[in-house]
Amino acid sequence: MSRSWRAVLRRGSGLPAPVWGLATTAALATAGCLADPYTLSTWTRILSLGLLALSVAVLAGTAGLPSLGQVAPYAVGAYTTAILARHGITAGPVQLAAAAAAAAVFCLPIGIAVSRTRGITFLMATLAVGELTAVAAGQWTTVTGGTDGLAGIPATQPWWGTAPILEDQAVYGYAVAVAVAVTAVLWWTLRTPAGLLLQGCRDDETRMRASGHPVARYLVAAYVGAGAIAGIGGALLVTGQRYVSPGDVGFEVSALVLLAVTIGGGRSLGGALAAVALVALVRDWAAATVPGRGPLLLGALFIAAVYVHPKGMVGLGRRRRQHPPVEVEVPSS
Amino acid sequence: MGPLNALDAYLIPVIDGVAYGLLLFTLAAPLTLVFGAGGVLNLAHGSLYALGAYAAALISDGSWTSLALAAAAGTFAGAAGGGLLSAALMPVTGRGHLAQALLTFGVALVAGAALVLAFGPDNLRPTVPAGLDTTVSLAGHRYPAYRLAFIAIAAALAAGGWLVLARSRAGARLRAMVDDPHMLACLGTNPRTVLAAVLTVGGALAGLTGVLGAPIIGPGPGTADTVLLLSLVIVVVGGLGSVGGAVAAAVGVGQVQSLGVVLAPTWTPYLLFAAMALALLVRRQPLPTGGHA
Amino acid sequence: MQQRRTRHHATWATRPAWATRPAWATRPAWVLAACLAMTGCGGSNAGDTGTETVKIGFVGSLSGTYQDVGQEMRDGFQLYLDTHGGRFGGRKVDLVVADEGNGAATALPAATRLVKDEHVAALAGIVASGSYLAISALAAEHKIPLIGSNGRPDTENSDWLWTTSFRSPDPGTAIAPYIKEHVDGPVWAIGPDYKGGYDQVGGFVDTYTKLGGKLANPGGKPTWTPFPATPNYLPYLSQIAKSDAKAVYAFFGGENAIGFVTQYKQSDARNLPLYGAFLTEGPVLQAQGPAAEGIWNVLNYSPDLDNAANRTFIAEWSTRHTDRSPTTYAMAAYDAAAVLDKAIARISGKVTPVKINEAIGQLGQIDSPRGSWQFSPRNHTPIQHWYLRVVRRDGTQLANRVVQDLATIGA
Repeated sequence: MSRSWRAVLRRGSGLPAPVWGLATTAALATAGCLADPYTLSTWTRILSLGLLALSVAVLAGTAGLPSLGQVAPYAVGAYTTAILARHGITAGPVQLAAAAAAAAVFCLPIGIAVSRTRGITFLMATLAVGELTAVAAGQWTTVTGGTDGLAGIPATQPWWGTAPILEDQAVYGYAVAVAVAVTAVLWWTLRTPAGLLLQGCRDDETRMRASGHPVARYLVAAYVGAGAIAGIGGALLVTGQRYVSPGDVGFEVSALVLLAVTIGGGRSLGGALAAVALVALVRDWAAATVPGRGPLLLGALFIAAVYVHPKGMVGLGRRRRQHPPVEVEVPSS
Repeated sequence: MGPLNALDAYLIPVIDGVAYGLLLFTLAAPLTLVFGAGGVLNLAHGSLYALGAYAAALISDGSWTSLALAAAAGTFAGAAGGGLLSAALMPVTGRGHLAQALLTFGVALVAGAALVLAFGPDNLRPTVPAGLDTTVSLAGHRYPAYRLAFIAIAAALAAGGWLVLARSRAGARLRAMVDDPHMLACLGTNPRTVLAAVLTVGGALAGLTGVLGAPIIGPGPGTADTVLLLSLVIVVVGGLGSVGGAVAAAVGVGQVQSLGVVLAPTWTPYLLFAAMALALLVRRQPLPTGGHA
Repeated sequence: MQQRRTRHHATWATRPAWATRPAWATRPAWVLAACLAMTGCGGSNAGDTGTETVKIGFVGSLSGTYQDVGQEMRDGFQLYLDTHGGRFGGRKVDLVVADEGNGAATALPAATRLVKDEHVAALAGIVASGSYLAISALAAEHKIPLIGSNGRPDTENSDWLWTTSFRSPDPGTAIAPYIKEHVDGPVWAIGPDYKGGYDQVGGFVDTYTKLGGKLANPGGKPTWTPFPATPNYLPYLSQIAKSDAKAVYAFFGGENAIGFVTQYKQSDARNLPLYGAFLTEGPVLQAQGPAAEGIWNVLNYSPDLDNAANRTFIAEWSTRHTDRSPTTYAMAAYDAAAVLDKAIARISGKVTPVKINEAIGQLGQIDSPRGSWQFSPRNHTPIQHWYLRVVRRDGTQLANRVVQDLATIGA
């Protein structure tokens, strides 16, 4: 049983990425026709978190910058969308473009500041950015509705002049279309020379600098781009649940998404999406069968992931070192 | 009258800021130790504190004996927790900080649920001996006696820790491991043993801090998160693993949170993380050196 | 030091040897597909709110920081159900419980499941007012009555919304005249920095200043302390002691209430009379210990109220929970169950959410452990009595004791 499963995996992993992308899109589309409203609303939320995960994966995996603060541009995108909708601007393309642009503009100065740091320092600097954004969302009552959040947000129109989407199936379809488009564009971008330059910064920054590359500028660009993706994710969150509060953009979400990306292997976009889906399903769906035990299940999932799926972690963890800090073979005499 | 009055208005917040800062340092010390000496970012740190705090709430009933008993139980429970954590971390060694974060965050979630199952959802407080549950006069102001005792014990712990680290053989090994684990291994000391020892001692310290800190930050469902977040800020501002830096950071954050309340009340919610962001961005960083560490 | 820092950077900045392969094409896509299949199959059975069984959803914090309140509410709701044969209005109740977690971010998915998957006929529970706001839109859209038992934000349209606890400003409004009358001089107002804190303390400040009272706070604005956690209240308390305040009005709950009250008695402010809402309610009182003695507080319920409904409530409660007396949270959830029971009893034929909602609107006076109350016709929150209580030592235990009636309030 498990051997044949592995064999399928081995064969499957040989397929080119676009094939997998198309297959996943087809599976999502089919599910949209068959599944019940609750399942679809759950998956709409997962797709929004998926874009947030992609934004973390680009930074952590491709650029080598693990972020605990991508909820900040996610929040900017979400609140931008919510405020536009409450002012009668409900056209989807406008909301998405505004969310992405606002998040990108927000990320530019912050990116210049935090891209000077690496590793754990980057992690903690972005944590501070995320926390400060969540505090601001709770404090700026007149704009954000404060800690209670903004409710009663009008539904999004998928295109100018079309009817607002209210049914779960339509909202889900919109989310799938946006998420697939963003993922495809991102995947393509990472294969261009721009993506390779980012990988170069991650893999050997000293050499990149030595050969004259403005590494800092590349990293700021990556931070801004990742921010725009998170902003679109925020827009999808608001379209999906038509409510937003500081709790949606807090530390818990940051931590879950970064850990999901870690489980997914860090480098792989598909891995990040699959792992965030798994984490969100455990939190929202599996935990519903044992109310109050959600954190316990999530904790068990994280622990299990470390031992059961060790290769997933390798992408972010194992680095070539000359002096590994702990893992040293003690010479026999 | 004017200047004297103004001085008095800021005196108590400043004293309180120092005292509260030392309290924060004690909270963060085990996390700093484990990160500095073991290279482990232990996100289950708050759970070890909570373990000690629950021990205090259950055992300490107002007598000195019960307080001593609680301290012993909390220290032991923390040490056991730290030991278990080091065993769990062994297969993950060398896989980087995110793998450690994943494991220790998972442990923290499970431990949080287990503690509530064992002790219920209420926020608890231990009963302290009457001699400590009083106030003393400091420059004409009332101050909780317990906090002063806590500061004295914290100072003693810090001094003791420094002595062990700087003067003893075990301390020398520890410093050797921080500087060059490879060389330490060549000299015949297994770095894994040192890591296990560091996590156990760090756990014991966290448990003891939980017992002593319980009257101020008591056990409850939110305790682990509060303590972890405060400790993380101290450790990060102090320079990731530097004990001296953590002391300075703790006193600084103590001032930010007490004097800041008086000077900039509207900015209070932002102060903690703004201080952290500023400290990280202002500090000069060595350029990453690629594969040539 | 320098060396150490360099090493940590090296941990992140160098690369594994195999990392050149594009990694999109790996097994995680299978997991994604499997997840889809899993939820796809976990479908639902369509609404069976027949005459025999009625499905009720309960959302409360069963994990996270507020689980003490969530647990009390669940116990109160369950108590009513158990002592009424597991039936509301003669129909067997199928109670589906969901976890609110720390607030709206977890509460909304949980309530969505109850509405879209379980097809409940009514929703009850809810600790945080943010969760209530998030779920209120869902309930209105699906035309399902929502009967909250704790935090209640102001809403524009309350057609489907009910609350058995209180409006957040009510306790402060009820106690303000008493404080104005009994305190000779300005009062310092303080509370936690979130919407519930603003509403609670705001209710006091509005009424108190309308009556001509003055705040001792600088600029006449209440002081807000960081939420969810403020481990150190001493800087605030020494500020209060330095002002010309003659008394303090505070709203805090849970861990914050313990910290505020214990540190109050250890500070320069310790001799100022302390008035509060919720400050000493529930298990926090035993944790506060002797520091809580003598604190005046306003609430809509007290276990020592002398009325028939409360005697029954207390007797039933103490057979199940020997270690603690019921809180206002348990009482409000018990009443939510009572409201559903009485409303469903008025329905003839098939029970539907619409009929339940209509029936709740016709209930009139509701007999309750807190004394009799009714829903206000405007925003569907209780018009009820508020009591002044004081913490007294009762043997070895501390307890809140009713001193007098304050006011009947509701809008």
